[in-house]
This record gives sequence, C-alpha cells and structure tokens, in this order.
Amino acid sequence: MLTIENLHAEVDGKAILKGIDLDVKAGEVHAIMGPNGSGKSTLSSLIAGNEDYEITKGKMLLKGKDLAELDAEERAHEGIFLSFQYPVEIPGVSVTNFIKTAINANRKAKGLDDMPASELLKKIREKAKMLDIDSKFLSRSLNEGFSGGEKKRNEIFQMAMLEPSLSILDETDSGLDIDALKIVANGVNKLKSKDNAIIVITHYQRLLDYIVPDFVHVLFDGKIVKSGTKELAHELEAKGYDWIKELASHGV
Amino acid sequence: MEFKEKLISSHLAFEEDFNLNDSVHQVRAAALKVFEEKGFPSKKEEAWKYTSLDALLQKDYALYPRSENSIHVNDVKKYFLYDTDTYKVIFIDGVYSPFLSNTTHDGLDVCLMSAALSKPKYKELINTYFNKIAPEDDSLTALNTSYAKEGAYIYIPKSVVAEKPIEIIHFSSGNENALWLQPRNLIVVDQNAHVQIIERHQSLKEHPVVTNCVTEIYVHQDAFLDYYKLQNDLLSASLIDNTYIVQEQKSHASVHTFSLGGKLTRNNLRFFHKGEHILSTLKGVTILHEKQHVDHTTLVHHAQPNCESHQDYKGIFSERSEGVFNGQILVDKIAQKTNAFQQNNNILLDDKATVNTKPQLEIFADDVKCSHGCTIGQLDEEALFYLRSRGIPKKEAKALMTYAFANNVLESVQLPSLKKRINGQIAKKLGVNLGFEL
Amino acid sequence: MAYTEEELKKELETKEYEYGFYTDIESDTFPSGLNKDVVRSISKKKNEPEWMTEWRLKAFETWSAMKEPDWANVQYVKPDLQAISYYSAPKSKPKYDSLDQVDPELLKTFKKLGISIDEQKKLSGVAVDIVMDSVSVATTFKDTLAKKGIIFCSISEAIKEHPELVKKYMGSVVPPSDNYYAGLNSAVFTDGSFCYIPKGVRCPMELSTYFRINQAGTGQFERTLVIADKNSYVSYLEGCTAPSRDENQLHAAVVELIALDDAEIKYSTVQNWFPGDKEGKGGVFNFVTKRGICHDRSKISWTQVETGSAVTWKYPSCILKGDHSVGEFYSIAVTNNYQQADTGTKMIHLGQNTKSTIISKGISAGKSQNSYRGLVQVGSRAKNARNFSQCDSLLMGNDCGAHTFPYIEAKNNSAQIEHEATTSKIGEDQIFYCNQRGIDTEKAIALIVNGFSKEVLNKLPMEFAVEAQKLLEISLEGSVG
Repeated sequence: MLTIENLHAEVDGKAILKGIDLDVKAGEVHAIMGPNGSGKSTLSSLIAGNEDYEITKGKMLLKGKDLAELDAEERAHEGIFLSFQYPVEIPGVSVTNFIKTAINANRKAKGLDDMPASELLKKIREKAKMLDIDSKFLSRSLNEGFSGGEKKRNEIFQMAMLEPSLSILDETDSGLDIDALKIVANGVNKLKSKDNAIIVITHYQRLLDYIVPDFVHVLFDGKIVKSGTKELAHELEAKGYDWIKELASHGV
Repeated sequence: MEFKEKLISSHLAFEEDFNLNDSVHQVRAAALKVFEEKGFPSKKEEAWKYTSLDALLQKDYALYPRSENSIHVNDVKKYFLYDTDTYKVIFIDGVYSPFLSNTTHDGLDVCLMSAALSKPKYKELINTYFNKIAPEDDSLTALNTSYAKEGAYIYIPKSVVAEKPIEIIHFSSGNENALWLQPRNLIVVDQNAHVQIIERHQSLKEHPVVTNCVTEIYVHQDAFLDYYKLQNDLLSASLIDNTYIVQEQKSHASVHTFSLGGKLTRNNLRFFHKGEHILSTLKGVTILHEKQHVDHTTLVHHAQPNCESHQDYKGIFSERSEGVFNGQILVDKIAQKTNAFQQNNNILLDDKATVNTKPQLEIFADDVKCSHGCTIGQLDEEALFYLRSRGIPKKEAKALMTYAFANNVLESVQLPSLKKRINGQIAKKLGVNLGFEL
Repeated sequence: MAYTEEELKKELETKEYEYGFYTDIESDTFPSGLNKDVVRSISKKKNEPEWMTEWRLKAFETWSAMKEPDWANVQYVKPDLQAISYYSAPKSKPKYDSLDQVDPELLKTFKKLGISIDEQKKLSGVAVDIVMDSVSVATTFKDTLAKKGIIFCSISEAIKEHPELVKKYMGSVVPPSDNYYAGLNSAVFTDGSFCYIPKGVRCPMELSTYFRINQAGTGQFERTLVIADKNSYVSYLEGCTAPSRDENQLHAAVVELIALDDAEIKYSTVQNWFPGDKEGKGGVFNFVTKRGICHDRSKISWTQVETGSAVTWKYPSCILKGDHSVGEFYSIAVTNNYQQADTGTKMIHLGQNTKSTIISKGISAGKSQNSYRGLVQVGSRAKNARNFSQCDSLLMGNDCGAHTFPYIEAKNNSAQIEHEATTSKIGEDQIFYCNQRGIDTEKAIALIVNGFSKEVLNKLPMEFAVEAQKLLEISLEGSVG
C-alpha cells in the first residue's frame, strides 16, 4: 500500500525527518508513537501533501505511484485520508455540503457522475448513526464552534463517507473523553478491511487499547528508533520516552 | 476681531522674544501659514462631523495671563498623586511653576520645553524630533506649533527605567477672564527605556479656558511607554488634546484616557508604526453628564508587518451629554500579519444623551486579522433585576452595574495608586458608594 | 504541482466578461448633450402630460445648481454628461402587446443573458418587465396580475394611465434635490418600472425587471417606483447587464419604495453591469439612489448581489418612519481587477420600536477597492430602536483593499445598536483541508466564498440565488463551475 524509503524533510530550512523507512500493507494497522516534536505530524502532513514541508531526500510510494508527482487533492483521489490533528473551520459551509462536494470531486476524478442525492443522503444517515452523530450537527458550519470531540468525530465521519484506502489518524485521541474515544475507535474498527490500511499517530498508548495495531513504530528526532508489535506500546507507556532517548543516544 | 485674526496678528509680538534666525522660528512661521490657510476646522470636515468648535470660538480669549498667578500648594495637592513619589512638571496658566514642580536631569531629563527649544545642548534633539512626529497639515496642531513655547520635555536615555512616574499638570488659575492655552510637550523614550506618565489639565475656578495641547512622543526600539490622561476638569474648561506617537520595532506604547469632566473635549490620538512587532494599546473610559461633549478620534496606522493594536473605549452618557468615537485602523499594503482590534461600547442612561460612533477599517493588506465592534445600549435588565431581588435599591443597582461596565478598562492600569484614584473618581461620578476598594 | 493562488489570479485576469455582447437592433438615439430642450424633447418623445414635463424641468433646474459629490471612497474620471445621449430606444417598435411581436434579435439577447422569457413564464411564474437602453420593451403576465388589481407596467405607461399614483409618490422618497445623480435622473429618466399592489393583496408571483444598456454612448436613467398599499406584499427582482465597451457608460437610476401600513416589500438586485476589462478600461459607472419608506408595522428588505460595474456608488436605504417598522439590508459586493465599490445602507429610525438588520459581505480581489459605508441613525423620538449590523470583508491577494465606514448616531437612550466588522483572508490551511478531501483549489475557493456569503445568498429568492451563486463564481473564480 504505502512504502516510504529513506525520507528526509525540512521546514523553513530546519531538518525534521532524517531518514524514515516504513512499509504499510493492505489490511494492516500501524501505530507511530513518539514524544512531542519527534516529527509525527510532519510525517502525516507529508503523506497528505502539505507543501509547507520540503522533501530533501527519499521517496514515498502509494500502490507503486510516486507521491511526489501528486498534488494534495490527487493524493486524496488515490485514497489517502488524513484525520487532522487540528481540523480547520470553514464558516458558512455545512458538514453536509462539504462532504457532498468532497465525494463528488473524488467521483469526478474517477470519471464517475455525481452521487445521486438519495444515495448520498442514505449514506450520510448510515455513517452518522454509526458514529452517534446527531442530524442537526450535519447542518452546522464545518468545524465552526465544534468542541474538540465533535471535530474529531467529524473527521472520522468524513473518513467513513470517503472510504479511503489509506487513513492516517493524527492524534485523533487528543481532546476526546473516554466515551467519545470508544465511539470513534469503534467506528474506525468497523471501517477496517483487508483492502485498506490505517496509520495511527499518537502520543499515548490509550487509543491503541481500542484500535489494536499490528505494528508499532517509535519516532524520535526524525527517525524510527524502534519497531515492534503492540507490546512495544505498553513498554513505552511503562518506561516513558526517556527510555527512547537513551536508546537513540546509544545508536540503536 | 475674529479670534483667528487675533491669533495671526498676535504672532509677531509672540516671536519678538526669540531669535528669528533659529530653525524653530522657521517651523513656527511655516505652521502659522498652515493655520492661516486652513483656519479652525468646521463640521463640514469629515473628522469634525460630530464636534463643533463654533460655540467655543465666540469668545475673545487672552493668549497669555496678564500677571503671574501663583497658587498655594495646599489648594492643588489633591490633584497630585501625593502618595506616590513622582517627578512633576507643573504649569499655571501656561507658565512653569518651579515651586510646585520636581524636575530632574539626573540620568534622565524631566524638564521644560522652553529650555529644550532655546538651549544649544538640546538643539540636535529638537531638530530630530520637534514637529517631526505631529502631522504638518492639521490646522489646530499647526496653530499650537506656531505658538510652541512651553510644556514638558522628557527624555529617557537608552536602557533607563524611570524609577518614578512623571506627572505633567497644566493648571489654569481662573484669574483671567477667558484664556487660550497651547502647551507643547515632547517625550522621547530611547531604546529599551521605560517610562510612565500621567497628564492632566485642571482649572481651579469656573472661568472659560480652552487648551489646545500637542504632545509628541517618540518610542524607540524595545522601549516601553505607559501614558495616562486624566480629564476631569470643571464644566467651564475645554480641551483639544492632540497626541502623536511614533513607535519603532518591538516597542510597547499604551495610552489610557479617562474623560470624566470638562465642557468640550476632543482627543486626537494617533499612532504610527515604524517597525515590526510593535504593540499599541488605546483605552478609554468616558462618563459624562449635563451638556458635556467628549470626542475620541483615534488612528492606528499599521505601516509595518507583524504589529498588533488594541483599542477599547467605553462610554456612559447621561442627561444631555454627547459622546463621539471616531476610531480608525489603517493597514498599509506591506503591513502583513497585522492584528488590529477595536471595541467601542456605550450606554445611554438618559433620553437626551447622544452617541455618535464611527469605527473605520481601511485595509490594504490581505493577511491580517482586523475587527471592530461597537454597541450602544442600556444596562442589562435581567442583571438589574437580579441585583434588586437581592435587596439592592434600583438606583444603586444601576450605578453598580454602570461602574462594573466601565471598570474593566481599569484592569490594565499599571500604577496602583492611580488605579485607586480613578476608581474613586468613577464611583463618585456615578454616585456609587463602594464602601470597599476594588 | 498544486494550483497556486498566483495561477488562480492569472486565470482571473484572463477571464472575460461573459455577458459582453452587443445586440444589433436599430435604435432611435438622441444626439448627445443636455439642456432644457433635451429634457423637453425626452418628455415630448414619450408623449408625457404637461405636469410631468414641468416636473422634469424643475428637477433639471435643481440639478443644474448641484455639484458632483466626491466623498465616496472611489476614484474615477467624472463622466462628461454633455457627451452622453439621453435617449435610446430600440427603433423597431416601442411597445409590444405580446412577446411574439418582440424583435427576434432582442429575444436572442435575453436568451444569452440567461433570461428566457418563455421559460421563466412557464417554470417560475415570474412576471418580467424588460428595460433596454432605458425603454421598457415587454412586460409579461400583465393580465394575470391585473385580475388581482396589481399594476405592473413601465413608468411611462403609469404616467399616462395612473397619474394620481405617480404624482403622489414620485419624488416623495427621493426628491430631485436629494443628490446630484438623483437630480439628473429626475430630469432625464426615460423609463423604468412601476408597480402598485392594492390593499390586502399578496402578489402571487415574483415581479422582475431586467435592465440592459446596449447602445454605445448612452446613459441609462431608469426610474422605479414600487407602492405596496396597506397590508400587501410583493417580492421584486431586478437584474442588470451591459455589453463590454471601451468607454465608460453611465447608469444613474432612482428606485423608490413605499410600504404603507402593514405592507412588506422585498427588493432583490443582481447587478452585473460590465465591470471593465482586466486593465480597468471601460465598464459602467453605477450611481444609484435607492430608498424606501416604511409606514406603521411595515417592512422593507433590500438584498443585493453586486458583481459588476467599474464604479459602484449605491446605498439602498430605509426610512423607518412608522412605529414597529422593519428595515433589512443584505449585501454581497464582489470587486475584481480595477473595480471600485462604495456601497452600504442607511437605516433611519424615526418611529418607535423600529428594527433594522444589516449584513454586508465584501469580497475584494485583483486590484480592486471595496468599501462598506453605512449609517444607522436613531432619532430622539425613536424609542426602543434596535439595530444589528455585521460587515465582513474577505481579501484575495495583496493588491486590493477592504474598507469599512459605519456611521452610528444614537439620540435616544432606549436604542440598542450592535455593530461588528471583521476582515480576513482565505486561509492556506482551509485550502489544504479541502485539497486533502479531494477538492481542488479552485473549487475550494468557490466553496469558501459561498460559505462566507451564505447569510445573504439565503435571502435571495430561489431563481436568483442560483444565478447569484453562478455570478460570484464567474466574477471570482474564472471557470469554476
């Protein structure tokens, strides 16, 4: 699905990623953990195509296609979905109108006609129900005045609607109370299939109790310093990030 | 003879005392020309749409006191921040009062404009700053410049923190029939220096006095200016106060204006940004009654990127009083990443009170955050009812709420004794018996 | 790489005015120039009664003593009023009884404008009066309306057929002495629409007027008068276009609305006069006076979408004279290239318990300047007046300007007035968010602009809302569909 080779990147001339290798196959869930400032969000932004970051070395391939050739919207058309850590407000544009525009833009890219209104409505209702989203919520302006939890739930709602092949959940757990976390995780789990892949980016192990990863990678100072299975997340939680710093300084 | 003619024809006599070869003379002469051409502003001018000087200009004012008027320190002590040790520059009817003042040259200059304008050692400073901060085309400022002679001159050198606040007080004795005063202040805060200044104009007797004051302030890089204007004069006194501030990069300047008294007050307050990362703060509380008129005309000119300005003016108007807020934010094309905010809230307490407000945004840069808001209204009936239901009489409840409305502007006052003083004055003006100190 | 703002700007520049075509119909045009004789000739040409001729001449006198105003935040070369022709009527036939008699060329013009009269008749039941180069050429649905006692005709016809109404109300809200261009209009107006809704009648369909300047070197001076008698209701739509020309064309209209007790008038405008080309050459000077008066418990609501004209100077206003009357102003003003707009409203609260709402959305792009200028005035007898104003500006690119000049004057202590204004740009983060969801930059901008303007778009009647949205996209986003 996604192959990242020796990826180096910088922002405003400052190196953030210093050689990342990652291989994500269809049907897998990968977790990327690490302390603040380790480059987690940079990595997700890069995969999604944010131009604030510059790739200085290495490459990213999605289903064999070089991502560097693609604009952000083209990557979305290829099936990349980023659940934003800080979802953006767009005043006056309702959740429904936004998702309709997004779905039809993606369909157009695939040479399909607009989704019939009845079908769209049915799908919206179904996914909203799955994530316990009130119908009133859907007519509100996108992310405007949403609580932290509402914003994150809205991100997963969009993920459910767009059915991406590669989803990146960037700190989706931050700002969620335990009930909301369960609903969101439950939604993500339902969307999981053998044909798609998920990358969960998080600071804490908490979310991983609900979205169980097949692989866990620890990012530190722009490099993956340790990879393992879900037990690694527990170990990290118990030993703290200082342990990672030590590992990194010993050149592991 | 019309007053304008008198001002023009008296100028020659005024300049007799000075060296006519001096550069300051050139400045005065040029300024007089501007005034001669423009005259007093009329309501036809957009900037004077809501404030008319016509009634004031009916009188024949003397331009100087006939004799030296001295006053006893005990009569005026209450106007000082007596419980704080301060530098003081004090004038009576436009004439410096050494007896009441406390000036210094020790590490910083707190002294007289007359000295700065005439002594050679200040020449360079005067050439650099005098009439360089104020605009040349404003007729009243030009009039002041043409008669510029006396006022406070303050210079805070590099990295000096003025230990004590500085009080500039212009008294009018009321011994003259009708007096026209034109004080001129110049304040230079050099790099990384800090200063706090309190300014007031105070009449001691009910006699007509009009003060056309100009204050030029230059705030250098990393410097800090904290300026307070206390306007609580008698109902016979009018004030046209022109304050011009130029700020350089990373400097902070804030001006608080408390307009509680006076007959007609016009505050022209302008900020110009000459560097990046500047912060400007303009705050005001206006509480008027009878037929008082206060006009706040402000301009913050964002001419450089990455600067911030905050304006917050509150007004409470009763009886037949009139309030004007004419606030302008101007953002030049290069002034990207500007954050400029303006707020003007007013309460009308009586039927005959008037508020005219004209907040303006003029924006030529696209990556900015600018907003203004203004409200005109009354006290919140529900809150009023809540207070009354707790046994507070209506009158007191109203006063208390009005007080609370005005009071939050005070939060940013840095001098505790001044804060206490203004607090008391606001409470008194509103008829609130606090019984405690906030 | 991604579609950048730079590229978008370039595309905007090359986007041509879509309505810039010229209809080749023979016209009957006066030689240019203005004096008393021209005023008399206009009146004579239109077979007007003596009182109207006198009214015009008086207006001409008043106007002759007036000076062109220059307080607005716009800069332009003042039009040479002696170089304009004050009358231009399609020659073929000045008046039609049915659409079949209309010049086929003209019908084609309307088709190009997107106004298929036939279709509109069938689909939306909108009655249309079309004014081309200042002469009313066709009014549809006249008979249907007549059954309800509604008069909807050209103003020329009203002068002849309903002189008592015209005499009573024309100039009562906007007197010839009101301002320079209102004075000029009063002297030389050639046609326009007239509408009267009788007592207690709810007009069953939207009434619509389309204005078009076609002939070169002509000015359009139309006059609209809408009277809603007691307890009646009408929704009125106005659309405007002009062909693209090098020289500036002048449009100086006057619209007067009278809402008698308990009546409601909804007046919507989609203004798309030629804005000039990307160099700022040509375009229409749109100097319009629009004002309504509200009697007791009545309501006037102005909604406007202003995308056209080189220079716009327009303040649809409400005089809230009656107690409990309501005034509303909803506006979207878009400026691009070298366009300049100085627009807003005046809400004059005179009666008790009067209410007004102002929502203004300004969008500036290119090298344009966009100003909101508004007045909220509460008189000393206007107890319990309420006003809420919100003025938001959106800037696209760094060569344009957005300005807000609200004047708020309160002389009554029971007034409650709230004014808010903001200025912002489209965030890069907003665009990236849309991109990430598969929406390209062009479409993202359209989406964001639409969201920004939503409160106003929602106020437009359905048929207009769709057209307005399309216009917004055309004037800003190039080929964004």
